[in-house]
Amino acid sequence: GLEPGSNCVFCLVLLTVALGAQALTPSHHLSLSDVERLKGLLSQPFTDLASAYYSIVGLSKLGASVADENMPVSNETRDILLAAVSEDSTVTQIFRAVSALSSLGLPLASQEVVAALIARIAKEDNVLAITTALQTATRLSQQAELGGILEEIEDLAARLDDLGGVYLQFEEGLEATALFVTAAYTLSDHADTEPPLKEDQVIQLANSVFSKKSWDSRSEAFSVACAAAALSSNRFHVPVIVSTQGPATVSHSQPILHLLVTDILSNPLASASVLVESAQAVASKSVVLSQAPFSLRDGIFELNFMASQPASGYYQFAVVVTGDSRLVANQVELKVKVSTEVAITNMDLSVVDKDQSIGTKTSRVDYPFKAKGSFTADSHQNFAMTFQLVDVNTGVELTPHQTFVRFHNQKTGQEVVFVAEPDGKNLYKFELDTAERKSEFDSMSGTYVLHLIVGDATLENPILWNVADVVLKFLDEEAPAAIQSKTLYMPKPDIQHLFREPEKKPPTVVSNTFTALVLSPFLLLLILWFKLGANISNFSLSPSSVLFHVGHACMLGLMYVYWTHLNMFQTLKYLAIIGSLTFLAGNRMLAQKAVKRIAAEQSSRLAKYRSLR
Amino acid sequence: MSNSVISVIYRFLEEYRTKTSNKLKVVDAYLFYILLTGALQFLYCLLVGTFPFNSFLAGFISCVGAFILGVCLRIQINPDNKGDFLSISQERAFADFLLAHTVLHLVVINFIG
Repeated sequence: GLEPGSNCVFCLVLLTVALGAQALTPSHHLSLSDVERLKGLLSQPFTDLASAYYSIVGLSKLGASVADENMPVSNETRDILLAAVSEDSTVTQIFRAVSALSSLGLPLASQEVVAALIARIAKEDNVLAITTALQTATRLSQQAELGGILEEIEDLAARLDDLGGVYLQFEEGLEATALFVTAAYTLSDHADTEPPLKEDQVIQLANSVFSKKSWDSRSEAFSVACAAAALSSNRFHVPVIVSTQGPATVSHSQPILHLLVTDILSNPLASASVLVESAQAVASKSVVLSQAPFSLRDGIFELNFMASQPASGYYQFAVVVTGDSRLVANQVELKVKVSTEVAITNMDLSVVDKDQSIGTKTSRVDYPFKAKGSFTADSHQNFAMTFQLVDVNTGVELTPHQTFVRFHNQKTGQEVVFVAEPDGKNLYKFELDTAERKSEFDSMSGTYVLHLIVGDATLENPILWNVADVVLKFLDEEAPAAIQSKTLYMPKPDIQHLFREPEKKPPTVVSNTFTALVLSPFLLLLILWFKLGANISNFSLSPSSVLFHVGHACMLGLMYVYWTHLNMFQTLKYLAIIGSLTFLAGNRMLAQKAVKRIAAEQSSRLAKYRSLR
Repeated sequence: MSNSVISVIYRFLEEYRTKTSNKLKVVDAYLFYILLTGALQFLYCLLVGTFPFNSFLAGFISCVGAFILGVCLRIQINPDNKGDFLSISQERAFADFLLAHTVLHLVVINFIG
């Protein structure tokens, strides 16, 4: 696929911001510098036929002149070319033959060519082959039956990949897409049939082809040049590019909005007329202008927007370009900024006593002068400032985004910034309560230089005004401690890693006692068994019995070894071996025991029976 | 009230002494031993805390499991229950007992840590 370079993404962003399109409008086109670069690449000297073809044809499409080449033709050459037109040649061969024949002015049978092409398309079903077939058809007579070939345009268009609704291109790449655009429009013009491409598709194709601004090879440059020429001068679809000349800003000093309306090659559209359908303020949504035409001067469309006396701010323009039925994407949205200059009026500084027993002393200061004396405020007093911001041209009150009051201590380098806020009547007020704000000043008493900073995107004259000097006196002044920022970048204190504390264990005595205690019932068991008369007198020394007991003992031993050394897998392995032996022996032993028991029971039953009788 | 309880207990002990066969008494002694061991482990845990918990669990479960298996063995070799276990001979019961104990010991040793 196609990857626009970061350059192009930046252009895309800029253009998107400038155009703010909701309907699809071209996000890429060839600016004049792009066209020059394209011509430069094609003007490089050529050494083989392919390069010659690309350069000559490409430059002629861009309108540059090319040296004339004359070639004599012999009968054999003509026969070879005519023979190439058949089902057995590839589409490219047919194309070259037809191009050569038509360029040399030799007659050819259009119907035969069409038949050969349709047969080849069925066999070579790829994008490039079909595009070449389309190109071939443009060289044929207009009386030929081109319907079958024209249908291929729609089929090919269906194979385009849609990327994010912005780009439409073949997976074969930029060249294939550009060649397709060229072929489709050239053939449509030749056959006088509108190509089956929708407006959005045309724009998306243009975006894909013109998003790349530096080309890898001559053939790529050639394809882009051909596509640009096709899109700027075909009979059906001409994408129009609307952009502002310079930033989209008007002001009192520059009241005219300049628009450039061009085609894809940045050629101005001579016959267009441009109209503002509506201009709406972004903030208040009120419509300031509607159905106002632009006037054309020296190829640039102009409109005096300031004549409508718009307030400063942003405006959304809906612009329509008419005058040519071929124009595509002729409805554009633009964001226009109206900027102005601000003036500060009625700047009053005063020191107000908190209990208001002593009257306030207000001084007026005029921009850009500084107040004559300095103002002193200690912890019983507040320092207050009021002012108004007005539009220089209209006298309307403004509320810019940035109105900061900055205190700067020249000796310690401290800088404290506050925001001045307007009240309901757009009168700006700032009050500094010395006692309340002492933490921001680190309680450093001294002389602070006061600046007022006013700024906004719509202001042409941001203001930095040194208004006055203010002496602040704080209570409990600390010794000038090093400013916080100095210690910010020193190494911090080391953090010692605290390993997990081992759990508290009981003293060894206790655990030892309990170990003995837990083992003691075993002794009790042995005693009980002895008292009950349990014995091993019945122990038969048969091999299976011995083996069983040995095996069983081994299994218990294995358990101990498992606890100390082994893992589950090894244990299971050993257990399987010992266990099966023990099982077999045990089975034997128990069977023998069972036989003995049953025999004993039977004999005792017999004895009982006999005694009863 | 307490009188009747004591007399019941006395009666029970008498019956036990006379009616139960020696074989069963041997198994009962074993069960009593297991019970004591388990109870002592639990007492230790109560007194000193559960560290290390997995060892305590392994030991305690071992006692509980052994007790249960012992009870099963006792039930199966009791001649009074012969009707319920027609297909299981005494030797078979003992073999089952051993096999189950092997598995129990494997698990306990794995868990004891």
